Amino acid sequence: MAQPPLSQRIQRLEKHLGVRLFDRTSRQVALTEAGALLLTEAREVLARSEAFMATARRIRDGETGLLRAALPPDLSGETVAALLAGFTRAGLHGLELELHEQSTAQQLKGFAAHELDVGLIHHPCDVSGLELGPVLRRELGVLLPRGGAAAGLDEVPLASLTGYDLILFPRAGAPAVYDDLLTTCARNGYTPPAVRHAQGTSFVRGLVLSAEAVAFSPRDTHRQGGGGSRGGTDGDPARDTDDGVVWRPLTGAPLALRHSVAWPAGRGDAAVAAFAEAATHALRATAGATPDLPVRPLHLRPASEYWL
Amino acid sequence: MTDALARIHAAFADAGVTGRLHAVDIDTGAQVDAGADQPVCTASVHKLCLLVTLYGQAAEGGLDLTEQVECPPAGRTTGPTGLAAMLDGARLSLRDLAYLMMSVSDNAAADLLLARVGLDAVNRTTARLGLTRTLAVHTFGELLATIKEDAGPGGARALADPHVVARLRALDPERTNRSTPRDMTRLLGAVWRDEACTPEHGAAIRRVLGLQVWPHRLASGFPFDDVHVAGKTGSLPTVRNEVGVVEYPDGGRYAVAVFTRTARTSALQPAADAVIGTAARLAVDALRAP
Repeated sequence: MAQPPLSQRIQRLEKHLGVRLFDRTSRQVALTEAGALLLTEAREVLARSEAFMATARRIRDGETGLLRAALPPDLSGETVAALLAGFTRAGLHGLELELHEQSTAQQLKGFAAHELDVGLIHHPCDVSGLELGPVLRRELGVLLPRGGAAAGLDEVPLASLTGYDLILFPRAGAPAVYDDLLTTCARNGYTPPAVRHAQGTSFVRGLVLSAEAVAFSPRDTHRQGGGGSRGGTDGDPARDTDDGVVWRPLTGAPLALRHSVAWPAGRGDAAVAAFAEAATHALRATAGATPDLPVRPLHLRPASEYWL
Repeated sequence: MTDALARIHAAFADAGVTGRLHAVDIDTGAQVDAGADQPVCTASVHKLCLLVTLYGQAAEGGLDLTEQVECPPAGRTTGPTGLAAMLDGARLSLRDLAYLMMSVSDNAAADLLLARVGLDAVNRTTARLGLTRTLAVHTFGELLATIKEDAGPGGARALADPHVVARLRALDPERTNRSTPRDMTRLLGAVWRDEACTPEHGAAIRRVLGLQVWPHRLASGFPFDDVHVAGKTGSLPTVRNEVGVVEYPDGGRYAVAVFTRTARTSALQPAADAVIGTAARLAVDALRAP
């Protein structure tokens, strides 16, 4: 905003409130103590008003009001069903939920284009301009050939996978998640001789069986002794362990998929809150998701340029 | 050119960053624009604006660059380099403080200079040079204080938490020191064309920018002994920036500004540092293509 209209508006506001908000000299403008006291509340009022406008927009755009939401493709059918049931129980009358299956990258684009109201995203991703629900982790275990030495262990240390190639999703799908997984493997003593890219259930399983290779898979899509009995776990290679592939937890649970609900900052409202609550509850109840782990020590190096 | 833009965007995506770039041929004005007008957090890149302000005031006779400044250890702005990391008192000239501020991004040296010239003077300089979207709203110490406050009791470790990253004021261009890639190449162009101050002072600014020690960002894209790279980095949690000028022996000179945000919150991400050089090189190659 140009200076003169801004100054006039500030003066009008000060007159309206009967409080002096800024001390002005010819060179500097500083917030007064009264201004500082009002600032926090002013921010709250603005946030509330944005949420109010978001609700109004939704009512205006759809006949009955519409919440445009997205979920990633890797959730089990059970989790999706629990989420929908939870959202319905929230009892937001006259609100329609329009659900899409989208990757994190697609969801971030949707938020920026104002085409999406809320979604469940994978971390890490660029969270600028977003508000987040709690970050939850779905622990990853390893898929091994039944005959391999590590398959005899109850828990597999990452370092004991040395020598096995790793089967991972193609990097372009989520470079940051991919890099995080490989960095954590390296940090824990496992640097695969080669990384082979595959996603399809049968193909991954085939590679585990026939090549010297392992893959990672979430704990919730595998239950000891219950292989294959849980319907709807689409796209997960651990669903069936009858074919010579076994799932084992990793010692210390170093690897996880991390999710949170996200929405554009300032555009959260009651519907978004209900979706966030339902998604968080569904992940905890059906996918065994747990709160994010405390972070590891951080040694900033000089090129970081900052120091706390 | 569309091919270069596609390759730049692909390089950013491959490194796991959201990137904005502007590159300009300083003499012809030909440009590569990959989000050149997006608002960005400058972080330590704003030290370039302070440097130009300091030398501008010297050029106008407002201050003497050899003026000695007492640098007591108490109350220094924190940082991992230069005076900010030193333990004892020192006495340095304004221009040597400027050297520390630019070569190793010394936060303490920067705030001593800022105390001498004032934040308003920095904003007057950028406004005078037509950088309408560039504004400094706090000192480097104040900037770091917002991070400390927003990070909460968890300290630096909390900066790995996406919640904390999402709420840092220092990462919101509306609430911190800010600019655009286009404003920064405009500033570099003015310095290299001697439009920012006298040729003598312009040469001094260019010398100091050429003494930056960091090899991992802009310079990494130009592993050629006969190519000169001068620049200033800027870094905060998930933020990696560098603006600078690349000069070829045939006289070609290019101002490049690259501002990135990483998806990962980890502090060490060599690929994210290197993509600043990779993207700059793609842009400069496109500008140099016959």
